[in-house]
Amino acid sequence: MNSLFEFLDKYLIPVMTKLSEQRHLQAIRDGIISTIPLIIVGSFFMIIAFPPIPSLAALVKPYAAQILLPFRMTMGLMALYACHSIGYHLAKSYHLDGISGGLLAMSAFLLTSVPVSLEDKGLALLMSNLGGGGMFVAIIMAIFAVEVLRFAKTRNLTIKMPEGVPDSVARSFEALIPAALLLPIVWLVRDVAGFDIQQFIMELFQPLVLAGNSLAGILVPIILITLLWATGIHGDSVVGTVARPIWLVLLDQNIAAVASGQPIPNIAPEPFFQWFVWIGGSGATISLVILMLSSRSSYLRSVGKATFLPGICNINEPVIFGVPVMLNPLLFIPFLVGPVVVGTLTYFVMSLGLVTKPFILVPWTLPAPIGAYLSTGGDWRAAVLVVVNIVIVTAIYFPFFRAYEQKLMNEAATQEEEN
Amino acid sequence: MKVLLVCSGGMSSAIVVKAIEKEAAREGLNIEVKAVGTGELEEELKNGWELVLAAPQVRHRMDEFCKKAEPYSIPVAVIPPQGYTPFGGAIMLTEIKKIIG
Repeated sequence: MNSLFEFLDKYLIPVMTKLSEQRHLQAIRDGIISTIPLIIVGSFFMIIAFPPIPSLAALVKPYAAQILLPFRMTMGLMALYACHSIGYHLAKSYHLDGISGGLLAMSAFLLTSVPVSLEDKGLALLMSNLGGGGMFVAIIMAIFAVEVLRFAKTRNLTIKMPEGVPDSVARSFEALIPAALLLPIVWLVRDVAGFDIQQFIMELFQPLVLAGNSLAGILVPIILITLLWATGIHGDSVVGTVARPIWLVLLDQNIAAVASGQPIPNIAPEPFFQWFVWIGGSGATISLVILMLSSRSSYLRSVGKATFLPGICNINEPVIFGVPVMLNPLLFIPFLVGPVVVGTLTYFVMSLGLVTKPFILVPWTLPAPIGAYLSTGGDWRAAVLVVVNIVIVTAIYFPFFRAYEQKLMNEAATQEEEN
Repeated sequence: MKVLLVCSGGMSSAIVVKAIEKEAAREGLNIEVKAVGTGELEEELKNGWELVLAAPQVRHRMDEFCKKAEPYSIPVAVIPPQGYTPFGGAIMLTEIKKIIG
């Protein structure tokens, strides 16, 4: 078992670290994370428009379109917001002006769209291209725009203002030549040559989105995240760097289906992992905390008491480092197997339609049954499934927990004898 | 002493901040501790901290933290895993004193 940890430390961790340190991936991660508050608050209006109580639902139905507007202007334009903040973060990472990076990114992204003409209303942009569906287009265009900005800067293709001009004014002029390079390039490709950049990028990433929603698509992140946490590295943040854009596209497709009254297509947007697998934090450690509460080892009992409330809020670093779970060969097995088992179970329960597939992003610090209930738009069966999952994981932890508890008690007894 | 803790979201390190404050009060030590997420680190560094402690689960991003702290010449260290718990106050204080005491 120790050789496994050595193996992880030698091979998996450096690769994953490199990946999460990669400049562009980091900008994508930080850019997308900045948009999460808008997505959470925006999708809350989904719950108001489609409340879980039938009588209430009938009452608000006539006003659904108005209620959904804040949702449409946030989640519905997610790619546009993300594009700006990815451009900002990437520019900052090159020590370039962040706002210029964000604005150039947005302009390049918007230029991939062609407005449609509405009779006596003027021109309109299709929102569907600016929401989750356009996420990968936004990412690619943001990177392209900032790379053009950097190219111009490193070749000194910028307009220098004389001294005495305020910094902020000078900086905005620095983006003039990059913009003069960037916009014609995108325009030539999209509008003159007629190459549909959007369509091309969406199709390019389609296999990734499909894979993300398969059984392998849930097991691979689960296994990688638990392996990383078992060595004490924040698995979610590392794996999420790559997976979060895919999870957001899956979420967006689900939420769009609900808003238009269609069946929900995807099982595996992020709330799937958050509420049904990572109950109490990665490794579904709430089960371990429950077992510790009545442990025969006074140390584990005190850890259990101290980690119970954070655990309810899905914060489990105190468990990982306090028990510890990190580099613990006994607890490693249930820490990995538990999430794999309940993840697989939940996947099949949802594909059979026994529980609604998640389509709403709610803050991750809510207690899991409540989070599961809200993220499925108020399906009580989701809360029941969470409780079932907790029971299953507790049973998986139990024998290993007992063995570890015995080991600690033996150690404590030996220590006392020595004293 | 002014010590800044950084973890992924600033949540779990808030628990450790409490542990440090409790232990410091017991020892009668005057210390200011704050927890931030990795995204807030750069901004927060401007507010004059003496030491940055990175949570063990974000230790793979140490290079990035060091680079950010360099212009302010603030030392950065990784928190030992056994200190990163609600009972880790004493370990944390020893560690802090070892670096800036």
